[in-house]
Amino acid sequence: MATERYSFSLTTFSPSGKLVQIEYALAAVAAGASSVGILASNGVVIATENKPKSTLYEEGTIHRVEMVAEHIGMVYSGMGPDYRLLVRNARKLAQNYFLTYKEPIPVVQLVQRVANLMQEYTQSGGVRPFGVSLLICGWDHQEERPYLFQCDPSGSYFAWKATAMGKNAVNGKTFLEKRYSDDLELDDAIYNAIKTLKESFEGKMTANHIEVGICDKTGFKRLDTATINDHLANI
Amino acid sequence: METVIGIRGPDFVMLAADCVQASSIVVMKSDHNKIHKIADKIAMATIGDAGDSNQFTEFISKNLALYKMRNGYELSPKAAAHFTRRNLADYLRSRTPYQVNMFLGGFDDKEGPELHFIDYLANAKSLPFGAQGYGGYFSASILDRYYHDKLTEAESYEILKKCVAEIQKRLIVNLKNFNVVVIDKNGIKNLEPITSVKLDAAIAAAQGAQGVRAH
Amino acid sequence: MSILAYNGGCVVAMRGKDCVAIATDHRFGVQAQTIDTDFEKVHQVAPKMFLGLVGLQTDILTVRERLAFRKKLYEIRENREMTPKVFSSMLSNFLYERRFGPYFIEPVIAGLDPKTSEPFICNMDLIGCPNVPDDFVVAGTCGEQLYGMCETLWKPDLEPDQLFEVISQSMINAFDRDAISGWGASVYIIEKDKITVKKLKTRMD
Repeated sequence: MATERYSFSLTTFSPSGKLVQIEYALAAVAAGASSVGILASNGVVIATENKPKSTLYEEGTIHRVEMVAEHIGMVYSGMGPDYRLLVRNARKLAQNYFLTYKEPIPVVQLVQRVANLMQEYTQSGGVRPFGVSLLICGWDHQEERPYLFQCDPSGSYFAWKATAMGKNAVNGKTFLEKRYSDDLELDDAIYNAIKTLKESFEGKMTANHIEVGICDKTGFKRLDTATINDHLANI
Repeated sequence: METVIGIRGPDFVMLAADCVQASSIVVMKSDHNKIHKIADKIAMATIGDAGDSNQFTEFISKNLALYKMRNGYELSPKAAAHFTRRNLADYLRSRTPYQVNMFLGGFDDKEGPELHFIDYLANAKSLPFGAQGYGGYFSASILDRYYHDKLTEAESYEILKKCVAEIQKRLIVNLKNFNVVVIDKNGIKNLEPITSVKLDAAIAAAQGAQGVRAH
Repeated sequence: MSILAYNGGCVVAMRGKDCVAIATDHRFGVQAQTIDTDFEKVHQVAPKMFLGLVGLQTDILTVRERLAFRKKLYEIRENREMTPKVFSSMLSNFLYERRFGPYFIEPVIAGLDPKTSEPFICNMDLIGCPNVPDDFVVAGTCGEQLYGMCETLWKPDLEPDQLFEVISQSMINAFDRDAISGWGASVYIIEKDKITVKKLKTRMD
């Protein structure tokens, strides 16, 4: 297009072979609110902080954990507006797949497609990379098991048993390494996810200030405040 | 109006095409060659709109030449037929479809002789023998009757002569001359054209011989 | 005459007990003239799945090629085999892409699910409207005759050998009443651990 003739990509290699725009994006992620994900034997959990900056905020209106399809959900660390664009696209990708094949999109497929979109924003003109890392969790109907993936601004993606992102990601991961085991049940995973968030949580943790999403073979759902409170009571 | 005939023998393919170039009801030319060499061992006998025939055969043959330049070897007859069909199919649904029907004959050093029927709709089929155009209606039964799978080149040429004789006897259109080409392991070779003059002479000679016997 | 009947030909598929069958005639013609008698309209697209296409031969060839292309991309991308259900959804979408300039074909799909071995048959119109019944599907220039034959001969839970008999008789007696179908037939019986192919000799006029 004529209008795009001079809008070359901002993401260019530095002489040392780095793409600094992507490193800056990762810095935006590292400065973002913590999120955590843990795979269990019968499901998967994702959780994040959602602490209001002011007491005047109406709580429980803006969510960080979002459903993408019946069996897939995601959460992010980084920039909220960028995340919402990715959620919109991810939902569209999932529905397009379903319309084409009359079969729910496998989690891996969705992750690949979202990662592909994120990669495009590192090489296209007139755009900047996304300032978010995603945790995408879901149930694979073919393999009958849960999956947990991370998608980075560069477009790379990883399958995790458990991981943490955002502020205190390093501490979070160390904490998870100590606590993770392969035979974790979903309830244990929720417990551990909240526990991991709590490690770095500033101030008193309440059900209104965290969000938890779970996915098992029945599908994905965001836990309501009452349920989160029940889990918090155990901690 | 026009006619092409193809016969696949055990180790050769023979193509025949009439030589008429007509414009409306006028015969402009009766020695027009419709059998084109498009590779070392591939030939195409085309009929249809005169301009389209020439343009399309040239387009295909130049693309085959380009393929050879790029890759250092030629496209096999099967691949060439597939390429031709695909192009014709794509053009069929464009604003400028090509109105050409053809037989593509080729010899593959591994697979042997091949004869491909392709029409302007890009219907395509590998055949042992076949004929297209108005002459096809008169040739089909002759080919059915005389074709067998151990045909020699000479027998095949005789069958073509029978087809041409029938076309000249029954078809209202005057197709005087037919060019004949044979493709085998040695490449493409032009055979003596089948002409009404020669066929008439042969018939006269045969009748003459019978006449002598009657006395 | 309809462009769908330009080349002639027919395909039928039937469901049996833990098996499916699909059959095709052999004629390739251009209007009333028969060009060749070894054109099979049924193709194996997966170990346990067959695709039958009838209609304009050029589109049979094109659709077959384009579907193979899409199916291969899917199987490389997802590293798993395509099920008949997914395949027919893909085909349906593929055909509807050409809603206002369609491929002149009518497809028939028959197969077993690669994992569950559940029998599956399906047919569509030329723009991809799917029909998934539990008895039989027909397509081609003698579709009406095929419906008549299938309706009288088919019954539920036929064993593979009975199914072969039913589909063969349906096919032969249907296309013998059609001038532009026939000239021999092939029948495929798909079972969990075996695929049987049989060529039928029929009237050649």
